Amino acid sequence: MDPSMNDADVAWLRSREPFAAMDPKSFPRTMPLEGILLNDCRLHRCQQGEIIVREGDYGNSAYLVLAGSVRVMVDSLPAEDLGRTEPEKLTWPESLRRFLFRSSIPEARDPHQITSNVEGSATSIRQLDDRSAIFLQDFDAILSRNESVSLGPGELFGEVAAMYRSPRTATVIAENEATLLEIRWQGLRVLRRDRGFADTLEQHYRQHWLPVHLREIPLLRHVPEVNLDKVAEATEMRSFGRMEWNADYKKTKQLPAAEQIQAEPLVVEEGSYPTDLLVVRSGFARMSRRYGAGHQTAAYLGKGHIFGLDEIAFNALRPEEAPSQSLRHSLRAVGFLDLLAIPVETFAQEVLPHVRRSELPDSVRKLMVEFTEKRKERRRGARREKTRDSDAGEKLSDAGTQFESKSLLEFIVQNRMNNGREAMVIDLHRCTRCDDCVKACASVHDGNPRFVRQGPQHERLQFVQACMHCSDPVCMIGCPTGSIARNIDTGVVSIHEPICVGCGTCAASCPYQNIRMAEVFDREGRPYCDASTGKPISKATKCDLCQTSPNGPACAAACPHDALVRIDLTESHPLNHWLERRS
Amino acid sequence: MLQPHFRTRRIIALAITAIAILIVWIFAWIETSRLGHASYVTGWTTLSTLFLLILLGVRRRVPMLRLGSASTWTQVHLYSGLFATAVYAMHVPSLIAGGTFECGLSIVFLLVSASGFYGVYASRTLPRRLTAVDGQHRFDRVRWHRNQIAETAASLLEGDNDNATSRVLGIFYTKYLMPFFQTRPSLAYVMVPTGARRRRLLGGLQELNRYLESDGRQVAGRFAALVRRRDDLDYQFSLQLRLRLWLVIHSTFSIVLVLWAIIHAVLAIRFTI
Repeated sequence: MDPSMNDADVAWLRSREPFAAMDPKSFPRTMPLEGILLNDCRLHRCQQGEIIVREGDYGNSAYLVLAGSVRVMVDSLPAEDLGRTEPEKLTWPESLRRFLFRSSIPEARDPHQITSNVEGSATSIRQLDDRSAIFLQDFDAILSRNESVSLGPGELFGEVAAMYRSPRTATVIAENEATLLEIRWQGLRVLRRDRGFADTLEQHYRQHWLPVHLREIPLLRHVPEVNLDKVAEATEMRSFGRMEWNADYKKTKQLPAAEQIQAEPLVVEEGSYPTDLLVVRSGFARMSRRYGAGHQTAAYLGKGHIFGLDEIAFNALRPEEAPSQSLRHSLRAVGFLDLLAIPVETFAQEVLPHVRRSELPDSVRKLMVEFTEKRKERRRGARREKTRDSDAGEKLSDAGTQFESKSLLEFIVQNRMNNGREAMVIDLHRCTRCDDCVKACASVHDGNPRFVRQGPQHERLQFVQACMHCSDPVCMIGCPTGSIARNIDTGVVSIHEPICVGCGTCAASCPYQNIRMAEVFDREGRPYCDASTGKPISKATKCDLCQTSPNGPACAAACPHDALVRIDLTESHPLNHWLERRS
Repeated sequence: MLQPHFRTRRIIALAITAIAILIVWIFAWIETSRLGHASYVTGWTTLSTLFLLILLGVRRRVPMLRLGSASTWTQVHLYSGLFATAVYAMHVPSLIAGGTFECGLSIVFLLVSASGFYGVYASRTLPRRLTAVDGQHRFDRVRWHRNQIAETAASLLEGDNDNATSRVLGIFYTKYLMPFFQTRPSLAYVMVPTGARRRRLLGGLQELNRYLESDGRQVAGRFAALVRRRDDLDYQFSLQLRLRLWLVIHSTFSIVLVLWAIIHAVLAIRFTI
């Protein structure tokens, strides 16, 4: 992780808490504690006012304060304070003016779009050691205006975002000159082999975050607080796969579907009996069923989706004489997967009685109606014999996201398109290849199109290489200045150019190659150059879903033949409906 | 918001168009019954519809304004075009009017209408044919792809010209393949792309097999693959060119038509009132 980490640093770290209290015997020989500190950690020197993590960002690392102190902002800081500019919808006249006077120079920018290091700006970018860091200009004023909490030596922050791939919940700023130890998630996961450290982390998660995450599950919305506490107590957190799935993606997508499925970590296997209700907290999973010599994908699951509900509900509601049902599908992690596992007994006792029938999947609802009626009949003394369907499972529908065409489903999962919340899909049976979409995109972006009409194709559908504003935005991980950020309200991932230092981390991380680094020029066509290195300045560019345009995404609006759509592929309904319209 | 199925949308749009045509016909009939000039009703309606029709071009050129989606405009354009053709038929005594000026106007109108109907047909059928061909090549990159294929083909015979096999392939390459790879497709092919060239060249390469050893057959196989790629590329090129050309013809003549129709209207008002 950091080549400058050496044995002396490791020895120093071993003398400090929590590493001093850790038992080296807890770690396997192949992964000793010293090895983790050497390979999965990095020392950070921070100066007063440096923004260490920003609320809403994604990250793979947790930070341990070794010296000095940091401030965790309880209040959300305005985007402007972090150097970001909130996109404002342009007025008609302004849109028209920009269109009419668009630059003939590609990637032309005004000076204020190049750097935030100008007078009046809330932030500045400085070089600190070997990295670029972003600083608040008026740290004291921001501290006095907003509520914050101070963290000192020995305290850890950012571990929930790092372990569970969730957005950072607060902005953290260096209060004074501080030394931090950045621990990447791989290291953090191994460190949890130490009982004391693991207990501290788990206790913190259970106390502060698990109830929040449980409440986010629609099925548990009406469960009383008392029952929810019991659910939280019994729930287990399970993680599968690699968080840095984007690094493997290029290799795995080339594999034949059967090999790809085999390579995915197995969560539960078809035919086993359900012991827990599995709720996807983050990441993606594939539901598959044995078919011939291989596995056929039945659906994919994303955040909030549930696995095993049909079988658990059946088993909970079945008459005593009926045999219990085993899982009809296997579940595998696609990339990485974080699950909450609610034990069957807890679910049946604490949750099921409080779930509204209307909120249950159709299959479970039918089961409930069926069994309630049966009970009523029994009470009335009716002796009507009704043979139960030998394969009740066939009546149940699968949870998750599924498409009628299995090959389309396989294609979407194989190419990880299920990550796209605003994927650009073209119906090639209607697309006349006029490129009006590209021209419209260029018109809105000062003559610079933000996508190229190319991309993987499946039958009549082309999945264009345009930013999909992913559900798991791996591009946002590692940005040193937080330039690439997601809008909390709209979900749009956009680049705040003045604080983009052109490092290319986002472009390299995007598994779909939808971010392009572009050298920028002034209005006369002269390249902007870095004053210290003399090298031309580059900025990351990508589709911003035309946030500033009064007309929404120009590409979709410009297609004269209803061939292009921006669509959410994390769910099946939008694409299914779109395809049905043209069937 | 749930949007209707395309079939439903088509039925609704056709029904509205038919009603609109009927309304104009009733107005024209009433006007005729009152011994008025029905051609005023139909003429003004046609001219107004022509203005509405050319607005689609304006919409396409200003994508940043909130003017509704281009597909909605296209639907309006299609059915307005159908409506305009029907009203034109009510307006003129014969499909091609007499006199040089009026005859010219009629021909331009019919040309624009015919190109419009062809456009509907082409935009619904050609994309399917394009999709059926391997590779989705962008029109602006066709030349680059052509050069790539030509360079790959040329490199297949490089550095191995000594043996008899290479000489046989070399002669075939120079005589038939090089002109195919290094030149643009003929106008005839662009107008009506057929598989004749492809079949001829692949047949020729097949014929060569009897004179080649296994290495030579492999090279011939690679040439065959390149022939297929190049032919597919030319096919894509010709169909995409057709889709672009009809639009150029349609929009150019539309502007001529509108200008001509305005002059016609001015003259009609000037000399009939």
